[in-house]
Amino acid sequence: MLRFIVRRLLLLVPILIGLSILIFFWIHALPGGPAQALLGERATPEAVAQIRHDLGLDKPIYEQYWAYVRTTAEGNLGVSISSRRPVTTEIRERFPATVELTIAAMIFALSLGIPLGFYAAKRHGSAFDHASLVGSLIGISIPIFFLAIILKYIFAVRLGWLPSIGRQSVLINAEHPTGFYVLDGIVTGNWNAAWDAVQHLILPAIALGSIPLAIIARITRASALDVQNEDYVRTARAKGMSPGIVDRRHVMRNALLPVVTIIGLQFGLLLGGAVLTETVFAIPGMGSWLAQAIFNRDYPVIQGGVLFLAIVFVMVNLIVDLSYGFLNPRIRVS
Amino acid sequence: MSIAELEGQLVGPTVPTGGLWHEAWRRLRRDRGAIVGFIFVCCFVLAAVLAPIIAPYGPLDQDLALITKGCCPGPSSAHWFGVDQLGRDELSRILWGARYSLIIGVVSVTVGLSIGVTLGSIAGYFGGAVDNIIMRLMDIMLAIPGLLLAIGIVAVLGPGLFQIMIAVGVTSIPIFARLIRGSILSQREADFVLAARSVGVPRRSILGSHILPNSISPVIVQGTLSLATAIIDVAGLAFLGLGDPDPSRPEWGAMLTNTNEYLQSAPFLAIIPGIAIVISALGFNLIGDALREALDPKLRGRA
Repeated sequence: MLRFIVRRLLLLVPILIGLSILIFFWIHALPGGPAQALLGERATPEAVAQIRHDLGLDKPIYEQYWAYVRTTAEGNLGVSISSRRPVTTEIRERFPATVELTIAAMIFALSLGIPLGFYAAKRHGSAFDHASLVGSLIGISIPIFFLAIILKYIFAVRLGWLPSIGRQSVLINAEHPTGFYVLDGIVTGNWNAAWDAVQHLILPAIALGSIPLAIIARITRASALDVQNEDYVRTARAKGMSPGIVDRRHVMRNALLPVVTIIGLQFGLLLGGAVLTETVFAIPGMGSWLAQAIFNRDYPVIQGGVLFLAIVFVMVNLIVDLSYGFLNPRIRVS
Repeated sequence: MSIAELEGQLVGPTVPTGGLWHEAWRRLRRDRGAIVGFIFVCCFVLAAVLAPIIAPYGPLDQDLALITKGCCPGPSSAHWFGVDQLGRDELSRILWGARYSLIIGVVSVTVGLSIGVTLGSIAGYFGGAVDNIIMRLMDIMLAIPGLLLAIGIVAVLGPGLFQIMIAVGVTSIPIFARLIRGSILSQREADFVLAARSVGVPRRSILGSHILPNSISPVIVQGTLSLATAIIDVAGLAFLGLGDPDPSRPEWGAMLTNTNEYLQSAPFLAIIPGIAIVISALGFNLIGDALREALDPKLRGRA
């Protein structure tokens, strides 16, 4: 097991180096530098040259790359050009928002998707089964931002049941030791704040979780169907084990293996989809921040932010692979 | 399961099969989902092709008199889907917009599929260092969330419809590459490939005429599903302001986004293009899904 982990961690190294090079050169291929983006209409050649000099952009490209690698290795991702704050500080503030949203979306998708898929498999061929299949296809065919706009319009604007933007109401006075607003409310014992944060999460989580919900329901259904016909399930039934225990101990446990893989894959998609959801609901997270940084040619933010997200994504996949080994003793040996 | 049924499975196909594609077609015709998907896609393609003939107005025809009383008049007999914020007929714009979505979908999937399949086949067939380099590159691409990657590519290439198609296509390269590589790896050691090699068939024609045709069906399925994703992703880019630089063009994603501020007074202006996107994406998803089942060799030979 340890060897497996070490091997996987070593495999990360070339990916991260490649990624850093790719991001670095991609950013320098962007038309119009940060100087132009900062100065806009007022850009004179002298002012542009001055800013380029201040940011070290007039040095040779390999020197810039080396400087970037050196500072990154020290954990210093530079200073945002547009906000003039350290990128690491911004990530610390924004990453929890995105993670909170992603986790909420995943909870929504899993808590609905697994029972739905499982029930559909049990009633294979029934009307419910067909409805779940069609429903899941509709789920993956709706653009996230369209669903987000519709949800916001119905439940926030029209009915006024839930807040429409942000992470917390202005009137709430809360402390944020962790940056995860729901957790903050619980930790500080401020239940109002926690509940308020949960309410702000509901609509974005549904919008963002719709696609994973559909996919998880389908995968659960398909793999439960497979497992249901396995010999060991038939044996368990034949020896008179109660149907509930067969379902839980034999079918569920084996059927959920592919679902674990999907969770890892979906995590990356959720981070991407978060750009749209965060934009619709004005959530100050990583996604909307990075999209804005690309518009502003904010080099340090793009470099640091994308690298950070990529590392997170790769790590999540690693954890998923490892947990796969724990859940399935059969592949641990090989 | 009765003994007769069990035997039927062991013996093999119970129904005479006329080849993979023949049988897939037979199964598709029975699949209700595929038929619905086919109808949706037909409507979509017909709208795109016939837009100049069937659209009651031009996509840019403006009638400002219609919006003098505020935005925006809803559906009426003269304007089935109502009128947008600039006094243009919504139905006509939806029909014309189908053209853009169709072109966007086809071009971006072609880009992703052709590059992905080429890279994946090279990696899968040659193996070794070539395989390693290509697949690590794919890993790097997959490590960046898809939409961010697309945003980044549009940022480099500049705004424009063509650039958007390229960006959305490029993000799907690793999916196709992985798919075809995995498929080829499992074929490379198959008996018929060994046989071809032993009688001296050159490498390139083994890949071209023996391995690829046998590996292509998952790619076709993925290609169909990717058409849906491409249409949705392009709409997403339009929503983020990275869409078509020409706002008068009736692109569905842009139509949905530009009418966002009229959501209170005229929600149909956002809902109708949204539904158009959903229907076309759903059509491709339904077909792709049915194709996957129809082409699944494990299910072959069952009625």
